[in-house]
Amino acid sequence: MTELKFVFGDPDICSGCMVCVNVCSMFYSKVIGPTRSRARVVRLEPALDFPLFCRNCEDAPCIDACPESALTRTSKGIVIVNNRKCNGTGACVEACPYNAIHIHPDTGKAIKCIQCGQCVDRCPADAIFTTTTVDLAERDKDGRMMALHEKHKDELYPREAKN
Amino acid sequence: MFGVGGEILWVDMTKGKIEKVPIDDDLVSKYLLGAGYLSKILYDMIPAGTDPLGEKNVLGIATGLLTGSMFPQASRHVVAALSPLTDVWGESHAAGFFGAELKFAGYDAIMFTGASSDPLYLNIEDSKVELLDASHLWGKDVFETDDILRKDHDRTFRTLSIGQAGENLVRFSAIMNDRDRASARSGLGAVMGSKKIKAVSVKGTGKLDVADPKNYLKHMDIFYERMMANPFTPGRVKFGTTSLVEMMQHIGRLPSYNMKQGVFDGYEKISGDAINEKYLVKARADYSCLQRCGRYTAVRTGPYAFEGGAPEFETQSSMGSRCGNDNLESVLFGHHLANQYGMDTISLGGTISWAMEAWDEGLLTAEDTGGIDLSWGNAETIIKLTKMIALREGFGDVLADGSAAAAERIGRGTEKFVMTVKKQEIAGQEPRAQKSMGLAAVTAARGADHLYAFPVLDEAGFDKEIKERFGEQYLPEMADRLSPKYKGIMVKECEDFMVMVESVGLCKYGTQIPPEFYYDDVALTLKIHNGLDLTGAQLQEIGERIVNLNRLFNARFGVTRKDDCLPDRLTKEKAPLGPSAGEVVELDMMLTEYYDVRGWDQETGLPLKETLKRLGLDN
Repeated sequence: MTELKFVFGDPDICSGCMVCVNVCSMFYSKVIGPTRSRARVVRLEPALDFPLFCRNCEDAPCIDACPESALTRTSKGIVIVNNRKCNGTGACVEACPYNAIHIHPDTGKAIKCIQCGQCVDRCPADAIFTTTTVDLAERDKDGRMMALHEKHKDELYPREAKN
Repeated sequence: MFGVGGEILWVDMTKGKIEKVPIDDDLVSKYLLGAGYLSKILYDMIPAGTDPLGEKNVLGIATGLLTGSMFPQASRHVVAALSPLTDVWGESHAAGFFGAELKFAGYDAIMFTGASSDPLYLNIEDSKVELLDASHLWGKDVFETDDILRKDHDRTFRTLSIGQAGENLVRFSAIMNDRDRASARSGLGAVMGSKKIKAVSVKGTGKLDVADPKNYLKHMDIFYERMMANPFTPGRVKFGTTSLVEMMQHIGRLPSYNMKQGVFDGYEKISGDAINEKYLVKARADYSCLQRCGRYTAVRTGPYAFEGGAPEFETQSSMGSRCGNDNLESVLFGHHLANQYGMDTISLGGTISWAMEAWDEGLLTAEDTGGIDLSWGNAETIIKLTKMIALREGFGDVLADGSAAAAERIGRGTEKFVMTVKKQEIAGQEPRAQKSMGLAAVTAARGADHLYAFPVLDEAGFDKEIKERFGEQYLPEMADRLSPKYKGIMVKECEDFMVMVESVGLCKYGTQIPPEFYYDDVALTLKIHNGLDLTGAQLQEIGERIVNLNRLFNARFGVTRKDDCLPDRLTKEKAPLGPSAGEVVELDMMLTEYYDVRGWDQETGLPLKETLKRLGLDN
């Protein structure tokens, strides 16, 4: 099986500038607006800035949750939304444990990161990177990054996410 | 128009009424948004004789045309009102996320009129805008207020607020946003306090449509590449502005001992290197910022333990060298406290250092201070007074009106140690070591100020930029920080450019230092972002129009050439020590050249009729 890629960020390095968020909304929606972006940035004290993206879960609960079967995994391992099928039910939004899928306010369709790398190329702090579980374990040998994400999961992935 | 929120919120605090008014395209074509737009609105609304802390004063909070855009450092908003510190034009700016969020909610500015008898805060959730009871927030500091508001509403809200200093009408209190961002100068926190506005909380889920979506990212990529490739950027990331301490020490421009001198023996202890070595946790950015000069620091133990946003050069100089204080932990903590209470660290340090010199001269005694020892460098005193000023306790109450008012109250010859222009404390640029800064401090509309012109082109070898902006004939004098020659021309040009930058919501880092982006870059961005067709020359003229309008505002409050003056120390006493020893500020000759290029009357210092006519200000 193809190793699943995802974009991940270091909350100690991320400066919180939101360039990734804006690049994403401009690249895909031709507007500027966090609610139109597939990336999020959450600032928490003390001194943490979390750039957040689809984690490309192996068991991808979003795929199973969609009543229209609008979410599928491509041969390259990317979970994509089929806009013709998506009805904006929000079932995937509910199912996502990482609050990484949202309903686009203008189209009414689900949007999520597809690991295109547009933001990664433009991050001024070099805080985000495309990785895999194996690669991340290598980059994060002491588990610092993962521990920070885990420690703050309630704030980063609120169950009742407001869009 | 593209790329803006589209509406202005008019909030009548007396009646508790909120009105939404579309932005005026005609005004935008003459003044842009941000500082320029507020300049015009407040000029039309604030008559002579207005009490800055009375209900007739008008407080504006405005974003620029590009605030919220993807242009590097497009994070800024501006606040303006009649200043309670200077009694003239008051204006201040901050970065953060508040401005962009306001735009996403659909608004470009908030205008507060009248005054409430009870504390209120303005809550904005897209189209839902309401004034809510703030009695539970009154008395809380800036961080507590942010915590409570984001808990009560949602963690994704952005807040702007005053701390206890603004509530207590401290005349150099700040309006804070995003916790540690400060619109600090001009004391506008007190105007907010006088109207009983504790805070503004905002959540915007909207978007900014841009004029040229097809080519937008392509242009931004070029701007990003230029900003990242600029040789200043790595240093900015590493030090923010903190390493200016070392740089300024080396040219004798580090205000020390209440500006008696421009060098400080203890400079290394309060330097950027010292901060990085032990206290820096992280560089932080504001919205769309590639340079991340924001510092997040921590003092882990001892009496000055804290963690948070702090500091920048101005505080290292004002609460450090200016007070003869080389205790870095106290400087960091003092900055943190000033943010927490919501105060301008420049006027805070400037006022304390005035008191320290008066004490040193024997003009202030323990009887005046309630037993507090004001010896140079007494870190404990600096921290104690910071709290006492914010809460107006004891001797802090005297200092809370600023050094000029305090000296007037105390008398006894302490007046000669007041280092202000138009009652605002001079910032961290000892002007005997950089003449342009002396001129800029007196011509700035808001009283002593380095940022209105921010004439840094003679500071760090920008000969190339001087050649491009002015022409080769002005070299080498214009680039020589010790030469007064051509500084009138330079300050005028810088003012026009900088007020334009404040009207589009960009940062002075990236436009002026380093001077990477100039008029044409802004013109291009206004085209692709807002769909405005303005040339660089037209933008310059708008800048000039705003400066002249600010001058007319001040003329209404009695300002003439006589007020454009520096303390005698800086124009008559030679700098005693360091690389700029022997220098004074040759203010008169620079000012004459400045009025000349401005088209202002040499005697009154006010715009000539033909100048006003040329700028369309004659009606």
